[in-house]
Amino acid sequence: MAREDVPVIASMFQRILRRDRRAASPDLIAYLSKLFLDPPNRDPDIASLVHLRADGSVSGFMGVLPMRMAFEGRPLRAAIGGSFMVEDHEDDPYAGARLLRAFQNGPQDLSLTETANDVSTTMWRKLRGTILPDYSLEWLRVIRPTAFVSEMAAGVFGPLRLISPLARPIDALLGRIAPGAGWAHLPAAALGGKALPSSDADAETAAALFRRFVELHALHPDWPEADLQRMVAESGRKANYGGMVRRQVLARNGTPVGLFLYYGDRARIGRVIQVLALPGQEGAVIDSMLADACERGLVALRGRSQPALLDAMLGRRFAFVHASSSIVHARDQSLIAPFRAGQAFFNGFAGESWSRLLGDRFD
Amino acid sequence: MSASVKSEIHAFIVENFLFGDASQLPAEEISLIETDLVDSTGILEMVLFLEERFAISVADAEIVPDNFDTVARLVAFVERKRAAAEA
Repeated sequence: MAREDVPVIASMFQRILRRDRRAASPDLIAYLSKLFLDPPNRDPDIASLVHLRADGSVSGFMGVLPMRMAFEGRPLRAAIGGSFMVEDHEDDPYAGARLLRAFQNGPQDLSLTETANDVSTTMWRKLRGTILPDYSLEWLRVIRPTAFVSEMAAGVFGPLRLISPLARPIDALLGRIAPGAGWAHLPAAALGGKALPSSDADAETAAALFRRFVELHALHPDWPEADLQRMVAESGRKANYGGMVRRQVLARNGTPVGLFLYYGDRARIGRVIQVLALPGQEGAVIDSMLADACERGLVALRGRSQPALLDAMLGRRFAFVHASSSIVHARDQSLIAPFRAGQAFFNGFAGESWSRLLGDRFD
Repeated sequence: MSASVKSEIHAFIVENFLFGDASQLPAEEISLIETDLVDSTGILEMVLFLEERFAISVADAEIVPDNFDTVARLVAFVERKRAAAEA
C-alpha cells in the first residue's frame, strides 16, 4: 500500500463497506492514511495490502494492523486483517484470494480478524484458519423492551423514532409489574444498588487498566505505552454509536476490579467495545455496566463476546447471535490452543473495533 | 500433458465443485471462472490442493488466470513447477 493508493481505497471503502454513494471525504482519506500507513504498534515488515489490476489500478484492499503479543512470556508478532474488499469481486475472484493468501503468508506469527463476513469466513477456513465461536458472538442485553423494539424499528425506518416517547410509560409499567430481571427487560430496581460502583476513567487510567487486565490472559497484547494511549484516544470518537462511556469498576475498598467502555445515548442501544475484569469479578463488572446503562436511560446494550465473560453473561440472561467471525491462523499450531481454550485476549482493542472506522462519521 | 496430473485435477474438480457429477466437467480450455464453477474460495481450494497433492509451492503472484483458469492451464502450471523443482 502506497500513499497514492489511499484516495482509491477510501472511495472503495465508502462504496463497498459503508454503502454510501457520496465521495469519500478528506477526513476519511486522512484517517485511512494515518491508520494504515502509520498504524499504532508499527512493524516495518507488516503492512496493508492492495491488489492491482493489470493496468496498475487498485482493485482490492486488505487493511492490516500490526500488534505485539506475548504468550507465556514469549513475544509474538500478530497482524489483524480487516477492511477486506475487492471491487467487482465476482468478475475478479483472484483478487480476494491473492489478498487473503498474501496476508496469511506475511511474517507474523498470528494472523487475526474479528470482522469476517460469511464470504471471508469461508475463504479463511479454506486457508486453514480456525473459527473461534466463543469470540464470534454478538451479545445483547435488553433493558427497556418496548423502547428497544421501537429503536430497532427506527433503525430500519428513521421516522418511527417519533413514537419512542410512547414506549417510556409502557416500560415503566412493565418495571412495576415485574420488578425482577427477565431476559427481555431489566428494571433498574432489579440491580437495586447491589452493583459495584464505577467512576469515569480518563485516558491515562484506562490505558493502565487495559495493560493490567489483559496481562492476566495467557496470550495477550503487549502494547507499547504510547501506542495504547493513541488507540485509547482514537477510540473516543464513534459519533454513529453515540457518546463514549468509559468507567472503571471499583471494589468496596476502592480497588479497580474492572473497566467497561461503551457508546450510546439516552433511549438508544449502547455498543460495548470492551469489558475487562479481574478473574472472578466478571459478573460484578457486568452488573456495574448494566446499572450504569440503566441509569443513563439506554434501552439495551450489545457487544462482542469474549470467553472470559460468557459464564457471567449466561447467568444474566444475555441473548447471543452470530454476526461476523473472529478467526486466527498460525503456522505454529501450538499458538491456536490458547484461542481455543479461551485464554487469549482478542477482540475490541486487540482487534480493530477501537478505530474510528467502526462507528465514527467522516463527513 | 501429464495424464496423471490431469486426471487428479479432474477428480478434484468433480468432487469439490461438481458434487461428483463428472458429466459436467468442462473441456480443458473452458474457463472455470466464466462457467461459474470456481469463485475466490474455490481458487484458494485449488491452490492448497496443488500444493499438497503435487508438493509444489504456489507464490501469491502465481495465483492468476494464466495458471488457474482452465484445466489445461492448471496441468501446465503443475508441470512447469515440477520441472523447475527438478532442474
